[in-house]
Amino acid sequence: MTEWPHWLPILAVLPLVGGALTPLLFHRRPVAAWFWAVSVAAATTLVAMTLLLKLIASGGLSYAVGGWLPQYGIELRFDEIGAFALPASLLVLLSLSFSRHYVARAVDSGRISFYYALILINLGGLNGFLITGDLFNLFVFMEIFSVSAYALVATAREPVAALAALKYLFLGALSSLLVLFSVGVVFAMTGTLNIEDAAADLDLSTPMPAALALAGLATGFAVKAALFPVHFWLPDAHAAAPAPVSAILSALVVKAGVVGLLRTLELFAGGEGLLQPMLNSIVWLGALGALGGALMALVQRDIKLMLAYSTVANIGYILIGLGLSTASATTGAMIHVVNHAVIKVLLFLAAGAFIHRTGLRCIDDLRGLARRMPFTAFAMGVGLVSLSGVPPMAGFVGKWQIAVGALQAGRPILVAVLVIAGLLVLAFSVRVTNAMYFRPPSRISAAAATEAPVSMLFPLLVLTAGCFGLGMAGQVMLRFVAPAVPGLYGGIP
Amino acid sequence: MTVELFDLRPLLAVLISLACAGAVFAVRENPRWRAIWSLSAAGVKFALVWSMLPGALDGKIHAFGFGEVLPGVAFGFRVDALGLFFALVSSTLWVITTVYALAYMRNSHSLSRFFGYFALCISTTVGIAFAENLFTLFVFYELLTVCTYPLIMHNEDMAARRAGRKYLLYTLSGGALIMAGMVMVYTEAGTLSLAEGGILDASAGHASLLTIFVLLIAGFGVKAALMPLHGWLPAAMVAPTPVSALLHAVAVVKAGVFGILRVIYEVFGADLLRDLGYADWLAMLAGTVIIIASINALRQTHIKARLAWSTISQLSYIVLAACLLVPLGALASIIHIANQAFSKITMFFVAGVIERATGKTRVDELAGVGRQLPWTMTAFTVASMSFIGVPLTAGFVTKWYLSLGALQAGSEVFVGVMVISGLLNAAYWLPMIYQAFFRPLPANRPDAVSVSPMMVGPVLICAAYVILLGAGASAPAMPFSVAEAAARFAIQLGVWPQ
Amino acid sequence: MNLAAEAFSHVDYLVTVALFLIGAWILLTSGNLVKKVIGLNIMETSVFAFIVTTGMIDDGAPPLLAAGVEGPFASPLPHALVLTGIVVAVSVTSLALVLILRVKAELGSVELDEIASAGEQPGAAAPPDSRGHAND
Repeated sequence: MTEWPHWLPILAVLPLVGGALTPLLFHRRPVAAWFWAVSVAAATTLVAMTLLLKLIASGGLSYAVGGWLPQYGIELRFDEIGAFALPASLLVLLSLSFSRHYVARAVDSGRISFYYALILINLGGLNGFLITGDLFNLFVFMEIFSVSAYALVATAREPVAALAALKYLFLGALSSLLVLFSVGVVFAMTGTLNIEDAAADLDLSTPMPAALALAGLATGFAVKAALFPVHFWLPDAHAAAPAPVSAILSALVVKAGVVGLLRTLELFAGGEGLLQPMLNSIVWLGALGALGGALMALVQRDIKLMLAYSTVANIGYILIGLGLSTASATTGAMIHVVNHAVIKVLLFLAAGAFIHRTGLRCIDDLRGLARRMPFTAFAMGVGLVSLSGVPPMAGFVGKWQIAVGALQAGRPILVAVLVIAGLLVLAFSVRVTNAMYFRPPSRISAAAATEAPVSMLFPLLVLTAGCFGLGMAGQVMLRFVAPAVPGLYGGIP
Repeated sequence: MTVELFDLRPLLAVLISLACAGAVFAVRENPRWRAIWSLSAAGVKFALVWSMLPGALDGKIHAFGFGEVLPGVAFGFRVDALGLFFALVSSTLWVITTVYALAYMRNSHSLSRFFGYFALCISTTVGIAFAENLFTLFVFYELLTVCTYPLIMHNEDMAARRAGRKYLLYTLSGGALIMAGMVMVYTEAGTLSLAEGGILDASAGHASLLTIFVLLIAGFGVKAALMPLHGWLPAAMVAPTPVSALLHAVAVVKAGVFGILRVIYEVFGADLLRDLGYADWLAMLAGTVIIIASINALRQTHIKARLAWSTISQLSYIVLAACLLVPLGALASIIHIANQAFSKITMFFVAGVIERATGKTRVDELAGVGRQLPWTMTAFTVASMSFIGVPLTAGFVTKWYLSLGALQAGSEVFVGVMVISGLLNAAYWLPMIYQAFFRPLPANRPDAVSVSPMMVGPVLICAAYVILLGAGASAPAMPFSVAEAAARFAIQLGVWPQ
Repeated sequence: MNLAAEAFSHVDYLVTVALFLIGAWILLTSGNLVKKVIGLNIMETSVFAFIVTTGMIDDGAPPLLAAGVEGPFASPLPHALVLTGIVVAVSVTSLALVLILRVKAELGSVELDEIASAGEQPGAAAPPDSRGHAND
């Protein structure tokens, strides 16, 4: 079975087709649509698992779409970075499982089948983005997941959702066009759209067009990744969207921006003169984002806004790691992409469970909920502790590696940045935990709440276990992504 | 000579309380099962830890590793003599404190949360004791912070919240400092192992070594209440007495000094520190803390506050002794972990009994209490004799070896510190005893409420142990021998004056 | 002299970059949502023009196989890219317009400052939130 050659495109095509079929088959039948969506996502996860096993067994895979060989054809390839498709599919599966009861209250019934369709299409776009080896194909898949993301933000009932979606759309489209423009420049310079071939052919001795392309790509992906200071679209969009959508956005779509930056580094590998200033600025902007995001999170009263700002902070960590360009820091950053995704989905889903049962989003209104909803509160607590980077939970691995990398690169001040940002995250974690556990309920709906339904609890508990497991499995994951690092910086150790 | 044995017992010792915590959370509001689980887990852990004692006295090391969780960073347990000593003290006192707590907290609320986290705290404390490397120690250290927080917040009122916030502010910042120090140690030494008697060497450069020392000592010093990082300790006295007793006389503060001992002996190593001279500064700081904290204790009018400041002072004995970097000093510091624990816990138990029996919490209200609670106040007297340094009590042993160590290290000034501290201790304990026994009971004092034997029993047991430790100091298989083994191990010198 | 000649030989590229910047300016600074969409479209068009231009060859023939047409042909690959891009642009624009319609229906205006001031008045266009402080 694993020898069937067409698994790779199926990874992207399956959710796309499944998503497209959803409104056709299941309009106004929310439970059937849910079941369908979960099945498609589960199947996609299995495909991703198969591909990962193949990768571990025999190294990278390559696939020429339609039999057209690269240079004129589109090449798909599955490498260590593409392996992110497995956690992505799994997290979408868990978010979909969670959605069954959540959407009944959060989304208009006429839109529910479209909600599921858009999530599946989003997954298809993400997977395609991860496995493509062609620049324009990268753009197309990026647009697929971006446009579905804009629409998903708008599925929420609140009026502010439409405006937040528009804001997201404008900035997202701007960044996509920057990327497209740069793709055009690269095509003009090299005559090919294949990433590997373009990287080889790219003439980096003359700075001018190459620097423009690099700047365009870096800025475009930086906006998508919510790097400081172009992160300002993120809080409103992630806070306005329904909780499972916020989870997917914060955990996956934003990480696609990071993956885009990784691909950019691959493309320009070897051009130290060009890359070094960019990497330096990424480090400092990442540091500012880490501190700024954590500070902003601390002063929020709405729990989803708080979580959205903490995403900005964690993206800051990841970009510090990427910019440092030492092996430890980069592998740490890549692992943190996965670990933070798991933690963030856990947190947004737990917040969503609270919102679903009580309709309350303000942190002060969550007082006393630990007694009524103990499992959800436990999941939220574990997620917050992981987010702060307390070992042995998942958030620690990336932070440690990046801190080690910072010292190896001779920049101890970044260790201080990481430590301080971690303390700020702990501070707001304590606020939420205090409210949930040690305060009497202040709202009637909080006092009368019941525990979340099983379809919501199941993903929460799986993710909680994941936080512990990923924390202990750090070594395994780091060793897995290590081969991808040399290709990124063209030999900078 | 040191044989490393693969042994499941360190892991089991940690897991027992973890399982107990789970069981306690699960049985919810059933007091009988809660008591059964707590006591049986305490007993089993006590047995497990003590069972490793013969091996440790022979020089064997029980280890259990999980492999690497990060490159170069393993997660695992390694029971050397120092760790076993700490675990012995903690597990013994946990049994006793559980009995006390079951009686004291009888009418309180949220008891399953209380006892569940109580069990988790001990689990993490034993994890700290048995940690094989700095990372494992750090993991359990942070988990200890997380698990003690609900206990401090138990009363859920304004004072508890304020105390809890202060506690977290201090301990989490301390944890951040340790993390920063750990990263530097890893970068310089390539390993975080605590097995080798000094993983750093002079090649790291003065600036790095000093930074690492400051970061790690400050980080651990928060929990060790090393001034000026001590602010959380007096505030945390708002917690229920069993919490103060166990956590702030035994688990949390001892974890802090244990961390400092590990840093001095295993991360830096006595030889390196002697060359660098940092320990001298720390010794002077510790000596100053001993005096200043005792003076502050004099000024307190609340019994538990006075006990808190006394704790701060006593903890610095341990730090001071370790900084002398001589075998006798190491011996004194390790043995004081036990001596201070038993003496202080006796006092906290007494404070709780007095509060339950008479409702009094202030030092000036103790007139005639000796008549109402004769056994309890006798125990208190024994404990205070230990702090003053009267021979035949545990505290005397510490002071004796600390002074000898100071002479051996050539720092005679610390002998003077011992003397002054003894006088100060007398100044704040003796008036309390005098009031209790030699002042008549005020006429309008109601009769003492009778206190459960489950509360008085632990008081007497701990006081007896104080005398036992003082008098039987040289008996084999007494904790003293383990302390000797630990000290020898730490400094790797062979000559013992005996 | 050389620089000016260089610049003029790439005037088509410069024009597309200029259009891109104009579109970006409109997108970012305009207060009216529909005008933002127009700015977006200008940006998109400029990028498409840029891409097609990269495939152009001076005095080249259109890439069509027909009798009497002979090389050198302009590259057809950019045309394929731009066709895809136009489809993407259309879908983005239509989504944006639908969202603008919804914003108009629910918040009462497509001018950003009107929406902002409406949101600050009590009992404003935004329906009262019964779900806690959802709109903080």
